[in-house]
Amino acid sequence: MAFTSWSFVALAAGTVLLYYWTPGRWQWLLLLAASVVFYAAGGWGSLCWLAGVIAVTWLAGLALGRLNEARRALPKGDKAALAAVKRKKKAAAAAAALLCFGLLYAMKYWDFTVDLLPASLGGRLPRWDFVMPLGLSFFTFQAVGYVIDVYRDKYAPQKNPARYALFVSFFPQMVQGPIGRYDALAPQLLAARKLDWKDLQFGIQLALWGYLKKMVIADRAAVLVDAVITENTPYGGAVIAFAMVFYCIQLYCDFSGGIDITRGVARMLGIELAVNFRRPLFATSLTDYWRRWHITLGQWMRDYLFYPLSLSKPFARLGKWARKRIGGLPGKIFATSLATFVVYLVIGIWHGANFRYIAFGLWNGTVITASLLLERRFLAWRTALRIDQASVPWRVFMTARTSLLVFLGRYLTRAPRLLTALSLLWTTVSAPRLGQLADGTLLTLGLTAGDLWVVALGALAVTVLEFFQERGVQVRESLSRRSGPLQWLALAAMLAVLAALGIFRAGYISSEFIYGQF
Amino acid sequence: MKPKTWCLAFLLTALGLVLALAAFNYATDPFGAFGDRFLQWFSYDETNNPRVAKTTWLEQHHDAYDSYILGCSSTSSLPVEAFNELFDARFYNLFHYGADMKDCEEIARHLLANYEVKNLVLNVYIDNGVTYDDDANPLTHGLHYRVDEDLSAPAYYARYLLADPRYGLAKLRARAEDTLLPQAFDVFDAATGVYDKTARDAEPIGSLESYLEAYPVFADYPRTGPFGLYQTERCMESVAAIREMCEAAGVNLVVVAGPVYGEYLAQNFAPEDVAAFYEALARVTPFWDFSCSSVSYEPRYFYDATHFRNNVGEMIAARIGGDESVWMPEDFGTYVTAENAAAHFAEVLAAEPAAVPTAQVPILMYHNLAEEADGEATMSVAAFEAQIRALSEAGYTAVSLRELEDYVYRGADLPEKPVVITFDDGYLSNYTLAYPILQKYQMKATIFVIGVSVGKDTYKDTGNPMTPHFSYEQAAEMVASGLISIQSHTYDMHQWPPSEDGDGPFRETILPLPGETEADYVAALTTDFTRSRESLEAATGQSVDALAFPSGAYNTLAQATLTSLGVRVTLSTNPGVNTVVRGLPQTLYGMLRFGMQESISPSEMLTLLSGNR
Repeated sequence: MAFTSWSFVALAAGTVLLYYWTPGRWQWLLLLAASVVFYAAGGWGSLCWLAGVIAVTWLAGLALGRLNEARRALPKGDKAALAAVKRKKKAAAAAAALLCFGLLYAMKYWDFTVDLLPASLGGRLPRWDFVMPLGLSFFTFQAVGYVIDVYRDKYAPQKNPARYALFVSFFPQMVQGPIGRYDALAPQLLAARKLDWKDLQFGIQLALWGYLKKMVIADRAAVLVDAVITENTPYGGAVIAFAMVFYCIQLYCDFSGGIDITRGVARMLGIELAVNFRRPLFATSLTDYWRRWHITLGQWMRDYLFYPLSLSKPFARLGKWARKRIGGLPGKIFATSLATFVVYLVIGIWHGANFRYIAFGLWNGTVITASLLLERRFLAWRTALRIDQASVPWRVFMTARTSLLVFLGRYLTRAPRLLTALSLLWTTVSAPRLGQLADGTLLTLGLTAGDLWVVALGALAVTVLEFFQERGVQVRESLSRRSGPLQWLALAAMLAVLAALGIFRAGYISSEFIYGQF
Repeated sequence: MKPKTWCLAFLLTALGLVLALAAFNYATDPFGAFGDRFLQWFSYDETNNPRVAKTTWLEQHHDAYDSYILGCSSTSSLPVEAFNELFDARFYNLFHYGADMKDCEEIARHLLANYEVKNLVLNVYIDNGVTYDDDANPLTHGLHYRVDEDLSAPAYYARYLLADPRYGLAKLRARAEDTLLPQAFDVFDAATGVYDKTARDAEPIGSLESYLEAYPVFADYPRTGPFGLYQTERCMESVAAIREMCEAAGVNLVVVAGPVYGEYLAQNFAPEDVAAFYEALARVTPFWDFSCSSVSYEPRYFYDATHFRNNVGEMIAARIGGDESVWMPEDFGTYVTAENAAAHFAEVLAAEPAAVPTAQVPILMYHNLAEEADGEATMSVAAFEAQIRALSEAGYTAVSLRELEDYVYRGADLPEKPVVITFDDGYLSNYTLAYPILQKYQMKATIFVIGVSVGKDTYKDTGNPMTPHFSYEQAAEMVASGLISIQSHTYDMHQWPPSEDGDGPFRETILPLPGETEADYVAALTTDFTRSRESLEAATGQSVDALAFPSGAYNTLAQATLTSLGVRVTLSTNPGVNTVVRGLPQTLYGMLRFGMQESISPSEMLTLLSGNR
């Protein structure tokens, strides 16, 4: 059930409507039912996988909860018993994580692994031909995060499996996150609520904005991107770069648009989901970019991968070794840098089973690790050049530099294969054929001049709006203080644009075409 | 605005937009889904979706029909008028482009359940064995909910009320660009349900080379298959269901296997599959087979590679009705039953296709004669006689246009070396100088006279002197000889501006005047030609069904209008030898003529006449 389908709109609207009619203590059950409907629309098979992940992590949570109780009940000083409990906890958490990530691995990466093996071996291994369940990477991470939190005794586990199932499967966030935390999300999902008109208004506005970004800008830009970024593309580097700029617009508008729809629908239900994007266009470094882009994934990696890794015994030993052997600042931050590098590599691989995602991880990891290692030198240069860090030109420079790094990395995520990505990059530099930008080539790529303007003006509108947000303006709040007619005009314009340029963008066939040659 | 007010405003605005969209779609109704109440432009709606628009058309007009024709798009060429005559019925052609047999079955069920049906003609095309119940764009290919059992009324209304408004806008735009002749957006004839082929049927046809050049689809026919006829079984189940429904309702069912273009069949299907397909049909019902015959191998009998011409449809009706006055190839049309099917298809699929008979016919065009030549316009008697003598000596037989018509329409023979001699304008010299020479050599000729100039030597109105023209009496005398035919050069659409009074514009040719509406033009042409025909027929007693275009100028609308008035031969002034094809009336349209002059020697003339041979 795609966000852009009428059935999703009907499900969301129906859920919101029924939600406030339902008595408070049943409200969470309505959300669970809506989630089941949403997920079942994608096929009952994938519902089984979801149920499997829920069952494993819920049971693990219960077990860990009991072990936490047992640990608290232990008399002080009983080191042997404590060690036994700790061992059991580790085993339970590891088993759940292994099962979940094993399933994720099998679904997402097994065929890729088989392809990597020599044919004599790989040919004998069975292949996995199931359709990957919708949103598997997202709900698996959310569920495993819960297990680890309970393992860390951050909170007590959820005893009711249905309530827990709602936490993992809450329908607006199933497909692309944000990846929620149990302690922040579950109480909101399970609470009884009364209608707050402001929640409804802001939720609708956010969802509408998401739909505009997704259907008017992203879906339109995608046409050009798909036409250009192919194997053996016939276009010169300038057109390729133009298409990659469109891809960056498409990716951001599609992903953040989807998240806005998710958060908007949740807000209509009075639920505040985690923020997933914080205006990544204005990032001043790649590290900053990853703090603004897909934030909940980055935080998950930080909390559940980076810290455990850098605090683990092998890394502690490695750090000690590096301080002694390498010395200086590099020696001091060697272990942390390595952990950072690993995190970005994993983020790359998380995107999918392909060399180009591994390369994407390596690219981010390398740039960020290098900047960590060289940070002090940069600082020295900056001081020597007397650059004011807060000055506008410096910020603009930093932002532009970051955008370029992100832009280059995007070749890796969009191209169909790693080698194609590299060849596209090479063509961009070696054979730009700038003339193609002006000789009408751009109008042969599936979009009309009007479409190109819509994408450009749309991207500009998003940038301007986010610029004000970056400067602290609360857009919806300030809009709601305007005059009534103006507010209505803004609302009507949004709906009209969405209808004219989004809903009816594609699919129209002229009668000349229907009739064909006869 | 308070949040609550805002939410209500949102709800009302969204609802308002939806309602506005629905109202717009209802009013413009580009698919004819709601009966096209306001524009009543079904030829447009049917182009967008014939399945839906024809169903609503019938809801409004079913009283006008009692018999129906079903099938895919090539079924369009099964002629309603000929079938009306054949079955003494009132047919409506309910074909849909891309129709498979499931569509046909559902439509047949709908017809029998709701309307009076006497006859049902079903065309089974080879493609019906390839596709059955395919997924297609529901907006343009979906059935009406009253026909489609799987489609609920609310889903149907939602589909068309909430359709992309660009369809409605396109319809409004097209409304402003509508013309009498069909365009890509209004290809249907609403009253009969067939494709409106007025333009294609008015288009002159000549040599095979020029046809292949104009329609490249035939030359080097693309291989798009091979196609497996995997849906044969389901197709025949639907045919059987239709047959049973007709039997139960006492409806006369006529099953036809329409002509398939030969190269399409040969390139994309295995012969044994084709035989199996039609034999399976024969097991379900006897049928008239026109699928593969010499017609299939003549591209000029087809509009394109999947649609045979209306003329061929006339042949089909004549064959079914046993009407022998219409010519058709001998191998065209066999009544196939379960018993003879295997033998029949073994024979036709192995047969070498026979070429359709054609004739090379040169036409000479003369104007005024005099004892002495006078520039380009007037030729000397001596030169004229030398040319006629050379024709006679070279073995040419001068034929009348009526003989060409008989060749095309009825299969009459032509002499071995036919030639047509024509004179334009109707000068007195044709009578005084040319007629005696024609008599001497017993050569037939056709003279195209301008009605307003008959018997005159001064220009109408202004009285300016002009070359004298022969009178109605002289015309009658020539016709009585049996050698001369008098035909139309229009009544007054060959005006000479310097001799006209008034400011003009003047009708120098048959083409529309600048700024003239199509309706005014058609009316003017109709009035002019009718007057010309009536005056000539009254004078000579000979029917007038040929017209030489003044100055050779014409357009599709002129040709189509004249065809509708019963004109069977039209002549241009473009040079060339005509290829006349049996069964193709269009080979008599815009015929080529060699303009004869003093300077063309008899031997040069003979070279011209044999030029394209």
